[in-house]
Amino acid sequence: MIKKIVSKNFDIKDSHKLKVARENDRYSSLKKLFSMSPEAVLDEVDKSGLRGKGGGGASAGAKWKLIPNPSDKPTYLIVNADESEPGTFKDRQILEYDPHLLIEGIICSSYAIKSNHAYIYIRGEYVFWAKRLQTAIDEAYEAGILGDNVLGYDYKLEVTLHRGAGAYICGEKSALVESLEGKRGHPRLKPKQKEPEWFFDCPSVVNNVETISSVPFIIKEGFEAYRAYGTEKNPGTMLFGMSGHIKNPGIYELEFGTNMLEFINKIGGGMRDGKKLKALVPGGSSCHVLKADELEGITLDYESLKAHGSSLGTGGMILMDETVFMPKVVKNLFEFYHHESCGQCTPCREGVSWSDKLMGKILDGNGTKKDLDTLLSLSFLLNGKSICVFAPSVAFIIDSYINKFKDEFYSLVK
Amino acid sequence: MAIITVDGREINVKDDALLIDELLANDVSVPHFCYHPALGKDGNCRMCMVEIEGQKRPQIACDTPVKDGMIIRTQSENIARVKRQMLELELVNHPIDCPICDQAGECSLQNFYMEAGLYDSRVDIAKNKKQKHVDLGANVILDQERCVLCTRCVRFTSNITKTHELGVVVRNDHSFISTFPGIKLSNPYAMNVIDLCPVGALTSKDFRFTQRVWFLKPQEAICDGCSRGCSLLVDHNREKYKDDLIYRYRPKHNDAVNGYFICDYGRLNYKKENDNRLKFAYIRGMESEFEYATLKLERLLKRYNSKALLLISPTLSLEEIYRLKKLSQKLDLDINSFDENFDESFGDDMLRQNDKTPNRRAIELQGIESSKEDLQKKLKDKDFVLLINRADVDMIKDLGYDGSIGVLSSSDFLHKDKLDIIIPVASHTQRDGTFINCDDFIQYSKCQIKRDIESIKILDLVEGILNDGVSTCEAVWDSGLKEENFLKDINFNDVRFNSIKIELK
Ligand SMILES: Cc1cc2nc3c(=O)[nH]c(=O)nc-3n(C[C@H](O)[C@H](O)[C@H](O)COP(=O)(O)O)c2cc1C
Ligand code: SF4
Ligand code: SF4
Ligand code: FES
Repeated sequence: MIKKIVSKNFDIKDSHKLKVARENDRYSSLKKLFSMSPEAVLDEVDKSGLRGKGGGGASAGAKWKLIPNPSDKPTYLIVNADESEPGTFKDRQILEYDPHLLIEGIICSSYAIKSNHAYIYIRGEYVFWAKRLQTAIDEAYEAGILGDNVLGYDYKLEVTLHRGAGAYICGEKSALVESLEGKRGHPRLKPKQKEPEWFFDCPSVVNNVETISSVPFIIKEGFEAYRAYGTEKNPGTMLFGMSGHIKNPGIYELEFGTNMLEFINKIGGGMRDGKKLKALVPGGSSCHVLKADELEGITLDYESLKAHGSSLGTGGMILMDETVFMPKVVKNLFEFYHHESCGQCTPCREGVSWSDKLMGKILDGNGTKKDLDTLLSLSFLLNGKSICVFAPSVAFIIDSYINKFKDEFYSLVK
Repeated sequence: MAIITVDGREINVKDDALLIDELLANDVSVPHFCYHPALGKDGNCRMCMVEIEGQKRPQIACDTPVKDGMIIRTQSENIARVKRQMLELELVNHPIDCPICDQAGECSLQNFYMEAGLYDSRVDIAKNKKQKHVDLGANVILDQERCVLCTRCVRFTSNITKTHELGVVVRNDHSFISTFPGIKLSNPYAMNVIDLCPVGALTSKDFRFTQRVWFLKPQEAICDGCSRGCSLLVDHNREKYKDDLIYRYRPKHNDAVNGYFICDYGRLNYKKENDNRLKFAYIRGMESEFEYATLKLERLLKRYNSKALLLISPTLSLEEIYRLKKLSQKLDLDINSFDENFDESFGDDMLRQNDKTPNRRAIELQGIESSKEDLQKKLKDKDFVLLINRADVDMIKDLGYDGSIGVLSSSDFLHKDKLDIIIPVASHTQRDGTFINCDDFIQYSKCQIKRDIESIKILDLVEGILNDGVSTCEAVWDSGLKEENFLKDINFNDVRFNSIKIELK
């Protein structure tokens, strides 16, 4: 069930150090990389079917192809290491145990889009991981792996690590770019057609840490080797997480298409203290909640989860046992989303805060049925009327939790 | 050209125009807070949503370019619900203190509520508390509780003045507008944010609590603060037992000259219309009957003839200048318009011009001498100088003149007792007239407020002497002004409604 591509070196002692990393294959894809043209590299990644691992699952190759080639402006690769989605802690493992894999991926990906400067935007609270990554970058520069001539080849690449200031919304790609430009982290309006991100008006690509870390394998082993894992539409592997009341919480790399219940029971070891699973969110808190009896037949891939009324998201599963009281979960989530709403657009700024306050009132025993009706009606504006998809997540929470656990919510109100 | 269908009605629109512009231009109601034609789209208020056939979700009209054949619905049940609920959300944390808010009566929140809201409130949670009186600087007071965070004010300082004093701070519903630490709002156009603010969050220190806006009667005028001649709305009102006073100037949208804005100097320049007015006629320092003084002036001019000089001002209207020139010809008077009202530190690359008078161009075009040398020369043999729409008596004295002096002015001034005759004349907003600005746009200032204080319009004064029945602007044009070379292809009726560029042949 477990297939280690990205996590191959995680258990090796001192794997974050350049020497150990190189002994364990890091930077071994570069020889082949530089024997290929950037176009061929892009093509290889495109054919691999690699999908973004930041939550959306967009095709990486298709995204890279949006960069004009040739481009009359500099192009940039921006790595999204803002990882703040509740339940998600996979990028952190890469940064901690194999930062050189990320740097290698950055070299491959930057080369493909003809970029000479990559930025990594790392979550402000990731102090330890920012230091660890910076150390690795410094090591790489010293060893000539980064800089004017990458490993002696005729290719220049600078890598800059930028720390965020602690805002979940700065993980949203356009807010991230705004923040990186030195502005407030406000998401931009969606473009009318597919186009690259614009970093200081230059065409750029934003990809998740894990997405970029998957590239070296594809370059070195070829797209078919990657496609040998996973399913037709979901090739390869992904780092799946389990947290909550599970016996063996952690990050596990699995092929796409793995049966969810098997994962929970075999690798996760089932629920702690012999309790029963009550519900779970499959990929970060922004997905629809699934009740235990809805899990039959679900496989870990985008299509299956969508068909079952939720989404794969970041693959960070939060499991809740029978002792959990859902209204309290919802209040906890509302507090998070209320705190993190960037406040730019009306439905989210006011709708999330109102939801949070209503839920507080209900939990305090002062709520009425009308308050729950109001709460349910707020999901109308939160869903599909806002600038970014932050607000819809809150609509999903309102809709899925209240409708699936009606009794618990209505038991609280007069 | 493209054709779109809006609520079943076909509308001709420009290709690639913004949908919101076309809807508003065609009187389709589109509630909106953040979009402003001068500031562009920002898409944050989400009020302007419409349904577009073929699109799953409602779209914001401010970020939708029109396409030929588009089918738009602005009145469907779904859109009505979006607007109603969006307004409800805007009001969740809004203090609803309309009774004490200066914006009441011209507030987008109020207007849109009456148009698209009209629901019973469901809000029974505590509202967020924020600062209700923040002095941002430049006469602008911020009430953070009333703010709908449309960022128009922020975008004005970042895109238009590029002075970057304002920003949004803090996240979520605790966000508020603020100046950056250690900075005050301070640019010559700052008060425009008050007009831009769709609600009562930004109010004018100068205007707040003076009038309820529904009592104000707006009239159109041209600003006389500098040679740009921005279009103004003059808001005035006669309160019981009081004179008809002006309470504020606002910019009037005019793409040819000032766009949507005016400078703060021009905006506050209304004060001179109300205050420090010359209230009586004087003869040799003694208050005089008004009619007696005007007859006396006529006698003086007719007696002195070529020994008299009309020293006219570039603040006069084109019609006034034309008639005074005529007067000087008829009575054989000399005429000059030397004036030093320039301020090298005033002009900028937005609107403001160093020439702080509105009509110097008209004097030039009518061929009236305005050099100091000419004035000095003419003063030599004069026994009577009449200053018209000006009172810079010291200036001619400094040039060595010590004969009789008369003054026609709307503002009061010092040392009146030393002069032979003084007559109060109508101020800028009390009489209509046309002005030619720094870019050769000829524009009509329409505003004619009737004040209690006694004054005479210069056109009436001149008519009284020439006795030819020509006292309105239109009559002045017909009496010969329209034959002037620079007005050949222009007629008065067009000027009344548009700024027209004069073509010099
Ligand atoms: C509110 C919000 C938060 C997000 N946070 C992250 C994040 O922390 N890390 C991340 O990689 N993507 C995050 N995303 C997704 C990014 O917008 C973007 O899709 C992703 O970085 C693209 O990379 P990928 O295609 O490699 O997945 C977030 C999206 C939203 C709407
Ligand atoms: S949906 Fe929320 S997070 Fe996204 S732009 Fe609007 S206010 Fe900001
Ligand atoms: S103060 Fe007024 S203009 Fe500025 S953001 Fe608030 S509502 Fe908009
Ligand atoms: S006017 Fe369109 S979103 Fe505000």
